[in-house]
Amino acid sequence: MKTLEEVFETWEAVIGLEIHAELTTLETKMFCGCKLEFGAAPNTHTCPVCLGLPGALPVPNRAAIESIVLAGLATNCDIEKHSMFYRKNYMYPDMAKNFQTTQGPIAFCMRGHLDLDVDGRGAAERYRLDALAPGERDGNITRTEDGYVAHVGITRIHMEEDAGKMVHLGGGEGRIAGATQSLVDYNRAGTPLIELVTEPDLRTPEEARLFMQKLRQIYLAIGISDCSMEEGSLRCDGNVSLRRRGTTAFGTKTELKNMNSFKNLHDGLAYEICRQAEVLEEGGVIYQETRHWDPSAKRTIVMRVKETADDYRLFPEPDLAPYDLTDEFIEGVRAKLPELPDQKAARYAADFGLTAYDARHLVDHRTTADFFDECMALAVAEKGGSKFAKPLANLIINDVTAWLNAHEDTALADTPLTAARALALVKLIASEAISSKQGKEVFATMMDEDAEPAAIVEARGMKQVSDAGAIEAVVDEVIAANPDEVARYREGNTKVIGFFVGQCMKAMRGQGNPKIINELLAKKLG
Amino acid sequence: MATPFGSMSVRELQAGLAAKEFSAAEVARGTFERIEAADGVVHSFLETTEKLALDAASRIDGAIAEGRLAEMGPLAGVPVGYKDNLNLTGTHTTCASNMLRDYVSPYTATCVERTLRAGALPIGKLNMDEFAFGGSTETSAFGPTRNPWDTERVPGGSSGGSAAAVAAGLVPVSLGSDTGGSIRQPGSFCGLVGVKPTYGVVSRYGVVAFGSSLDQVGPFARSVEDAALTLNALAGRDELDCTSQPSDVDFTANLAEGVRGMRIGIVPAFLEAAGLAPEVKAKAQEAALALEKMGAELVEVELPHAQAAMSAYYVLGPCEAFSNLARFDSVRYGYCDPGHKDLGSQYEASRARGFGPEARRRIMLGSYLLSAGVYDRYYYPAQQVRTLITRDYAAAYESVDCILTPVAPRTAFKLGEIGDPTEMYLGDMFTISINIAGNGGMSVPVGLGADTGLPVGVQLIAPPFKDANMFRAAAALETVYGPAPVAPDYADGKVGA
Amino acid sequence: MTQHLSEADVRGIAEYTRIGLTAEEVVAMTADLNAIIDSLAPITEFDLDGVEPTFHPIGDLSNVMRDDTVRGSFAQAVALENAPKQENGSFLIPSILGEGGDR
Repeated sequence: MKTLEEVFETWEAVIGLEIHAELTTLETKMFCGCKLEFGAAPNTHTCPVCLGLPGALPVPNRAAIESIVLAGLATNCDIEKHSMFYRKNYMYPDMAKNFQTTQGPIAFCMRGHLDLDVDGRGAAERYRLDALAPGERDGNITRTEDGYVAHVGITRIHMEEDAGKMVHLGGGEGRIAGATQSLVDYNRAGTPLIELVTEPDLRTPEEARLFMQKLRQIYLAIGISDCSMEEGSLRCDGNVSLRRRGTTAFGTKTELKNMNSFKNLHDGLAYEICRQAEVLEEGGVIYQETRHWDPSAKRTIVMRVKETADDYRLFPEPDLAPYDLTDEFIEGVRAKLPELPDQKAARYAADFGLTAYDARHLVDHRTTADFFDECMALAVAEKGGSKFAKPLANLIINDVTAWLNAHEDTALADTPLTAARALALVKLIASEAISSKQGKEVFATMMDEDAEPAAIVEARGMKQVSDAGAIEAVVDEVIAANPDEVARYREGNTKVIGFFVGQCMKAMRGQGNPKIINELLAKKLG
Repeated sequence: MATPFGSMSVRELQAGLAAKEFSAAEVARGTFERIEAADGVVHSFLETTEKLALDAASRIDGAIAEGRLAEMGPLAGVPVGYKDNLNLTGTHTTCASNMLRDYVSPYTATCVERTLRAGALPIGKLNMDEFAFGGSTETSAFGPTRNPWDTERVPGGSSGGSAAAVAAGLVPVSLGSDTGGSIRQPGSFCGLVGVKPTYGVVSRYGVVAFGSSLDQVGPFARSVEDAALTLNALAGRDELDCTSQPSDVDFTANLAEGVRGMRIGIVPAFLEAAGLAPEVKAKAQEAALALEKMGAELVEVELPHAQAAMSAYYVLGPCEAFSNLARFDSVRYGYCDPGHKDLGSQYEASRARGFGPEARRRIMLGSYLLSAGVYDRYYYPAQQVRTLITRDYAAAYESVDCILTPVAPRTAFKLGEIGDPTEMYLGDMFTISINIAGNGGMSVPVGLGADTGLPVGVQLIAPPFKDANMFRAAAALETVYGPAPVAPDYADGKVGA
Repeated sequence: MTQHLSEADVRGIAEYTRIGLTAEEVVAMTADLNAIIDSLAPITEFDLDGVEPTFHPIGDLSNVMRDDTVRGSFAQAVALENAPKQENGSFLIPSILGEGGDR
């Protein structure tokens, strides 16, 4: 099979996503007062409504409607004031009523978009990006210095309800195929679910991954879901088709399921694109089918062939009054809209002079962004404090993130790190009291021993030596001891300077001021 | 022989309780004895609820002992029967279907709950057409109910058990449900007051759904006042039903006002309708003239789109029923055909054997009418026709306070007389447009037909949420025709011919 | 009578609604449904251009919602009390895909 890069020489991938998010932060289900709780004993969070008992009627949860409107506002959607719920009729045992209550042609949220910053290695997936100059546009993308921005349309976000859960018995690994019996638990049935459907605007697996990642950040920022891909509260299906470069008609698409991590989303789509290319290049046809990504086998397998379009007998749900949202309702929701990741990043750039890259990485996670805000609030309280923004950002993006990645089960709030300590550490480095290398040691010690940075510096005798006289003596010694390297430097191999800096640092047990060492070396070698 | 409790009015029962002529427990026990003795041929009850009734009676009797009868609610000590599509915790709710033969309700419908809170003694569950599909109570999986006026004849339907139980003097009040005429038509066949309130007056929570945008629960009684008292207990917003609305009307308030100054609409096209029996037409005209004589003004009104109501109904009803009945799938409850190794064959066998022919027809019809391409030909136009019918009524109400029409085109027919489903559907020709538009409508007994000697009713129709208007006119008619009698063979404690 | 539905159509509807009909029942059902659909003709005989549908006969009622507060649920035994088959607190059903495997 060809690589993605080879496939893209000939083919353009057209990708659309359908992303379901359970509104896990609510207290109760969509249409009844049963408590939302993951992992409870089976069928203990059920009632006449979510069990679909004869005679039961649904009543929508106001907070769920507020949540979806919030999601729409956060993704640049138009909020449709007038909409209705519909019944989507099909019989399946995990759906108690044998119809799903969902929305019809008009959803609460229509016509939104997200802009994706694609850079680094991910940008390389885009076919012939180099043909564009920074600022130049091509279709829905705009070239930037280090990649491009992709404008991805959102068709709609609609409100619906989740189904129950099934356990399949007698088949391999709990799979439905080969199972002789199944158990049905309706605890999850009726969980409020919002489904976002994108336009087919995505062209690379990386764009799809970034879209999902960005949407997750937004949903977390607005607090409507815990967005756990592992537990299934955030789920993504991908529709993918290929067409020859230069053509505009859509090819036959397949629907890809089970992409329950960002990596699986990327790798599943990448595989499916390559698989389709191979089929097409061998003269085969793509069938409209649902395929399942198997991450261990690294391939997609057929789940269901769609011979005819599904006919769900959709009709307006007579048991639910229509919606005619008032301006007051919508503005009330808008007032709850927090600062979104993009807005935060823009503020970091404007107020603190951070680069776009730094700003974006800070807002990648709500916890790191919140921590940065906390640090900056402390810093700005002092005069000239905003000059610490860049070193604080570096500390958080590099050291703090690395530490958190290495300690997956620990929340930032439960660590010895406080905003005051982070600021103190950054100040020690900025005032040249310790070197940045020493700073890393102080950070590690602080996290291990729960001590103040100044106390660590004191206890370990970690003082940065900035006395030019003392440093000059060391520099002279090092130059005298390494005549060969001196000769190479003078022959034009200036990279050797690193060797000299290292030797000086070693002689000073890491306490020499690297800036002064560099200056003196340059003077004396030059 | 003493008057059976089921033949008394609400007022008579409460006066007797207050005067300690009898206790609520005696009312309950007496009612069950009478059902035991008199319901064999009529077959109105599918289940009786002795324990629930005696528990309720003992609370009432406790209150009477403490002189607090008045606090126990407007239906205190009144035996009430419930159509078997109304959930009541611990009772079977079968909808007269094999599908739900063994189903025991784990919850109670709001309308039932409200009668209990009003002090009613729950007597049991009443026979009906399977899932309320029908107009004769012949499609019950547990055998038909017979009309106490002539046990060779049907009581009407689908709420035939609820009507027959009141007509036979087994209970003074019962609840039925009406999707296209299922309270009013049996009301007419059994000579009772039968009320289908405006859609939204009574909560549908716990009422097994047939046509969700058409269904409405209401009372059967032998007097307008008993019906009004019962509706008082039932009416009002329920947070468990999104389509229910507040009601602060006392339906008994203007019963004594008379009709002087009221404008009563007459629909000439209805009186000329093909298939309308002369004796029924004559009764409708007679009732109209009676109202005029009492000071009402008769005004001719037109409902030009009412002729399409029948076909709109046979689109909308099956479409909603198809979806509402999808939940009967042998997984969580209901009939499960044994021995299947795969779910598909279990589904197909359970639904084929659990549902009777009429239920199967309507489910399949609804599924077809909602399918791609067909939806735009029938379902969508039917909802547009609903708009036109609603406008027709709104226009009529500009000149009238209430409309008088026949209820059913004829009096009760014999069991087995009508076999063709489309002919059966014609029985709803005067009642259906009211469900389509959501208005209130009620049948009021106006004596016996000249030709058949069987009960005939007229239908009074009121603007949305002005149900009090039709009660007022109904009470005036009652001054002429008197409250409905118990069927002769069951009057004065008799137990049938 | 117009032939709106063929027996094959009726078999398709039966399959969709999961009602297993015998061959004779399909014949009878086809006749019944065609007769009923015939009687629906009046619906197609009005000029409905520009007429808004009334999906909900509830006047201006809209935006009916409840607060996000817990109302309580059934005990497991109550949830399962009408279950034809149950196991380990769950509803038990036979193989979804059947012996044929993937559908």
